[in-house]
Amino acid sequence: MSETPRPTTDARRTFFAARPTAGATVDLGVSIGGLRLLNPVMPASGCFGPALGRLIPVDELGAVVTKTVFGVPRGGNPAHRLTEIRAGMVNSVGIPSRGAAGYLAELHPHYRALGPPVIISVGAHRPNGYAPVVRDLGAAGDAYELNVSCPNLDRDGTDIGSDPDAIESAVAAVRLETDKPIIVKLPVLASSIAECAQAAQAAGADAVCVANSIPALPLEAYTRAPAIGNVIGGLSGPSIRPIVLRLVWLAARSVDIPVIACGGIETADDALDYFSVGASAVQVGTASFARPFAMVEIVRTLQQRCTDDRVAGIRDLIDLWRAQ
Amino acid sequence: MSPMKTPPTAAETRAALARQAAFAAADAAALDGLLSVRPPEAGPRPEPVWDEATVVSHEVVRERYRRLTLSCGTIAATALAGQFLMITVPPHGGERILLPRPMAIHRRNPLRGTIEVIYGVAGRGTTALAAVTPGQRLLVTGPLGRGFEFPAGTRRALMIGRGVGVCAVMGSVEDAEARGIRATLVASGRTRGSLIGAAECAELGARFIPVTDEEGSADLPALGALLRSEFAAGPPDVVFVCGAGVLTRLAAELGAEWGVPVQASLEAHMACGLGYCHGCAAPVRTDPAVEGPLVCVDGPVFDAAV
Repeated sequence: MSETPRPTTDARRTFFAARPTAGATVDLGVSIGGLRLLNPVMPASGCFGPALGRLIPVDELGAVVTKTVFGVPRGGNPAHRLTEIRAGMVNSVGIPSRGAAGYLAELHPHYRALGPPVIISVGAHRPNGYAPVVRDLGAAGDAYELNVSCPNLDRDGTDIGSDPDAIESAVAAVRLETDKPIIVKLPVLASSIAECAQAAQAAGADAVCVANSIPALPLEAYTRAPAIGNVIGGLSGPSIRPIVLRLVWLAARSVDIPVIACGGIETADDALDYFSVGASAVQVGTASFARPFAMVEIVRTLQQRCTDDRVAGIRDLIDLWRAQ
Repeated sequence: MSPMKTPPTAAETRAALARQAAFAAADAAALDGLLSVRPPEAGPRPEPVWDEATVVSHEVVRERYRRLTLSCGTIAATALAGQFLMITVPPHGGERILLPRPMAIHRRNPLRGTIEVIYGVAGRGTTALAAVTPGQRLLVTGPLGRGFEFPAGTRRALMIGRGVGVCAVMGSVEDAEARGIRATLVASGRTRGSLIGAAECAELGARFIPVTDEEGSADLPALGALLRSEFAAGPPDVVFVCGAGVLTRLAAELGAEWGVPVQASLEAHMACGLGYCHGCAAPVRTDPAVEGPLVCVDGPVFDAAV
């Protein structure tokens, strides 16, 4: 008798099947400008792509965020583009991009097909470089996130997002090009995160995202040679969470627009840390690599916590514990 | 219990680093201009999944490797030869490993629902991985990437692996046995005791040719001469190679002499394995203004030609 492969299942399939029943869940919705998100959980730019949609029920996320789109195609950095040290992941991928036209033709349909609102991350090397890219992208994005904080490309890790004047001029120019919500993704190394967030708000941004990976220089053991091709990269992962928590706290106190937190979030409790210091939404990056389902798990856990404690939303959940 | 190893002396560590640096430099030089992305495959790739795979066994194999047998039925049933997994390494001894590690699928047993990977303990990730025990569950994602493919009408195939690179070609040895293709596997390594593949070839009915640095038989001129003589009566229809750039170049030179295609599997630092992190730029010459291919989705198997 010839054996046939035994019927099989896998954890991915079980996870998809465990989708919470519609209607039986708490409304975790959040608004960024005029854009309503189902819940406050989304990927961090560069740590997500339509390919991840094959592994997780992406439609359970509040939004998807694209890899940064530049105006013209870019090739990216030499190998190694990433490494892991005890302090976390360090990457300097160099943001390869197909340019605005290439994005629209080749990538955007795949992001759109995922279901949630598509936030297009936009990059440029000069403050006046963002508006033309947003113009080229037209109405494709449900919101635009201005990546003024990529730490590994310009001027040894300093960048547009560390200068309030540069932020203001970049956002003001984009504001003239689009009615869609504008999110400004701020860097860690700003002289004053409050002034940078205020500059974004003053120029018409609908939200700020705080923050990004932290410029770092990883070395090989013994030889002390640079561990990545670009020498400098961005540190990410749980070790940066306390650093970014401070920045989110400072930003949230200084502006009225929503603050989206991004830095080392792995679990619902990490997200609640950020919500407790004033964040309205969260982005998850590095955690998705080791645990592809991390974002959806955070959404489901937040839902479950609210349901278990019979509260209407995340604010109430935090207040409930604060009262103890 | 394994015997306690004496820590290497500073001089030994420097010698090992010098050897690694020389290997990396030779590897990069040898691959320069050699590789290109393979033409699109005929059918769809298997859909990747993630699974909580149970560790069935985990043992030391040969002198310097460990074999991990994992129960993950979907991947065992669908993985193609030359595809790989991302293994999420559990915390160990206060050490957290953030990024999953890419590993070639060495064996597939769809009947038992198991797969095997073989790895060497090299850094923090593999040191922590070495601590997992049978019964434990490991998060794995796969099968991933573009594998090896036999050209239509293949009757004889040559597989060449260096060190743990043998594992990347072993799936194609399995396929050869199933399809009546006569397979020859050349396993190259530093010592006889380190070579992987003899038992597998005996089981699969493939010819096994061990070559080593210690005997001089792994030296490129010696190996080239051996293979020319081995296939003097008629060349293989295809060559699959993994584990060293210099071996890939030798394979490509032999392929050119014989007029047969050569496919080479690469490894790279990567975070996602699916193409979205863009971390694993492949060493393929391309227009620098445009992003080149990625090892994870455009490979890990590429065409190699001089």
